[in-house]
Amino acid sequence: MIKTENLRKIYEMGAVEVKALDGIDLDIAKGEFVGIMGPSGSGKTTLLHMLGILDYPTTGTITIDGIDIGTLTDYEKTMFRLYKLGYVFQDYALVAELTVAENVCLPAMLRQDRTEAEYTKATREILQEIGLYERRNHLPSELSGGQQQRVAIARAMVNRPDILFADEPCANLDTESSRTVLDLFHRINEEMDQTIVMVSHEDWHKEYFHRIIRLRDGKIVEDMGKK
Amino acid sequence: MGKKELKVAFLLSLRALQRGSRASTFMTVLIISLCFTNMIFLPGLFNGIGQGITTQIVDYEVGNVLVSPRAGDQYITDLDATLDLINHMPGVERATPHYTKGATLKFRDRTLGVGVRAIIPSDEKYVSPLYTKMIAGTYLGDGDTGEVIIGKTVAGDSSVRQEDEFQPSLGGVRVGDSITIEYGNGYTKDYRVKGIYLTGWSSSDSTVYVTMSDMELVEGQALDRADYITVKAKPGYSEKFIKDELQSYGVAPDVQTTADLLSKGVGRVLQSFAIINMVSLIVSVIITTVVLFIVITIKTLNNRKQIGILKAIGVQKEVIMHSYGFQVIILAIAGIVLGILMTSLLALYLSINPIVTPEWSATLYLTPTDILMNSLILFLAAAVAGYVPAWRVSQEDIQKSMRA
Repeated sequence: MIKTENLRKIYEMGAVEVKALDGIDLDIAKGEFVGIMGPSGSGKTTLLHMLGILDYPTTGTITIDGIDIGTLTDYEKTMFRLYKLGYVFQDYALVAELTVAENVCLPAMLRQDRTEAEYTKATREILQEIGLYERRNHLPSELSGGQQQRVAIARAMVNRPDILFADEPCANLDTESSRTVLDLFHRINEEMDQTIVMVSHEDWHKEYFHRIIRLRDGKIVEDMGKK
Repeated sequence: MGKKELKVAFLLSLRALQRGSRASTFMTVLIISLCFTNMIFLPGLFNGIGQGITTQIVDYEVGNVLVSPRAGDQYITDLDATLDLINHMPGVERATPHYTKGATLKFRDRTLGVGVRAIIPSDEKYVSPLYTKMIAGTYLGDGDTGEVIIGKTVAGDSSVRQEDEFQPSLGGVRVGDSITIEYGNGYTKDYRVKGIYLTGWSSSDSTVYVTMSDMELVEGQALDRADYITVKAKPGYSEKFIKDELQSYGVAPDVQTTADLLSKGVGRVLQSFAIINMVSLIVSVIITTVVLFIVITIKTLNNRKQIGILKAIGVQKEVIMHSYGFQVIILAIAGIVLGILMTSLLALYLSINPIVTPEWSATLYLTPTDILMNSLILFLAAAVAGYVPAWRVSQEDIQKSMRA
């Protein structure tokens, strides 16, 4: 489903070159729940952003569903993200002025293949699934961190994406809330055969992943559980 | 950009205004409304002054059309026939002659040089609202002799010392007092003051009116001449129409409309006002544009991270740009509406309490065209000021925005 070849990302910090990613080759199959782990500065988030088409590599190729991402125009990348990918960020990244329901249905509203009735139904269903339907008219500021992250997951899932990317989604949550969020990811993965790529630095999250890709200094140093 | 994208952009902008900082929204609307008021107030005031001056010139000096002696002549001769001709023309409400003679007024120890204007009081009523401006006594009757009406400026105020007077006067003449008038031809006569008027038009308030019958006594002969004839048009008839009619009917002397006269003297003053108005308008538009540019720039900079997130989840940059653009449009419309309300209240206040000077009185003169034009200019300025920073931030790289 996702394939990278010799992926490199080099940042120029003045006269110094920093290799954030240094020749990453990987394959991720449909339905995998992949954890990208590693110490700070190992390139976890950079790799996730590359795979999620939020950033572009210095060299190398990324292919998703047989499409070479490097050949897409800016607009096509936006549409690719809208139709095929979902994102959950560390700090929830909800629009503060929108209610829970509005935040969730926002990406669905933009799809040309969805009618108002369809995206309203999809929003209701996903909110019922995450147990926050009753709070659909609340603003994000009226929810706990764990609830906000569940709303962010619902927003990412409303379009039923091919791949769900999560960048340290539990970083700002306590253990109980983290477990609720991870259980939700697990359920989505199991019940919907949803491909999930998640960055984490918490060791105990390992129990949720099918496969763990460990990075150090921009290189894959371990790839456990590959199908 | 399709309907769905515009709908999302509008939803984002509406919610940002509804649930964002109310203080910021209110302040922005207030700034736009003040800019609108600033844009329209000064031109409106100048227009009010211009309109006031024009109205007073029409009412107390020349009417709608002024018939003057032909070049080289001192008077319009054959007055009765000329008046008869003009009064029977289509569109003419009434024509009335004015005949002015220089004189010296004496009252107690005061002496004052003025023009004594002879009129036909009953005809004058059709042309000038002078008879409605009596502040003491009564207006002249056609057959009155030995009686005058005088302007407030001429009558003066007994409580003001002579050396403190803004304009020389007779020092406090009252109705019923007797004043002596010495005409330029040596004819001297005592007159009873029948009434005192106040028009607010300096030139008129410095004049003394007598009847034509009385002036015939001064001249010692029947008066069949006048310095000029003022003509009042019937409602619905243009000044130009009257002028053309007069010329086609063979009224030989010089015929000028108020517009012709204004284009000479007062017209230049009004042109100066128009230049000042234009400068004021440009300054106001610049201020509005800069203020809105700053407001939206700050807003977009504060929301850079959110903009990055929106782009990341597949929201097109055009949707983001329009969401800020719509905010500015909504703010601009609200500001313009508030500005129109504030300006209307100011206009209402000034119509009740006009700004009065010794030379003129001014109200706020606004036409729907002025309001529409200024609204449109401000709206366009606001749209430009809002869309430029919104466009800039929407073009930014996702990574850069998300790291903000």
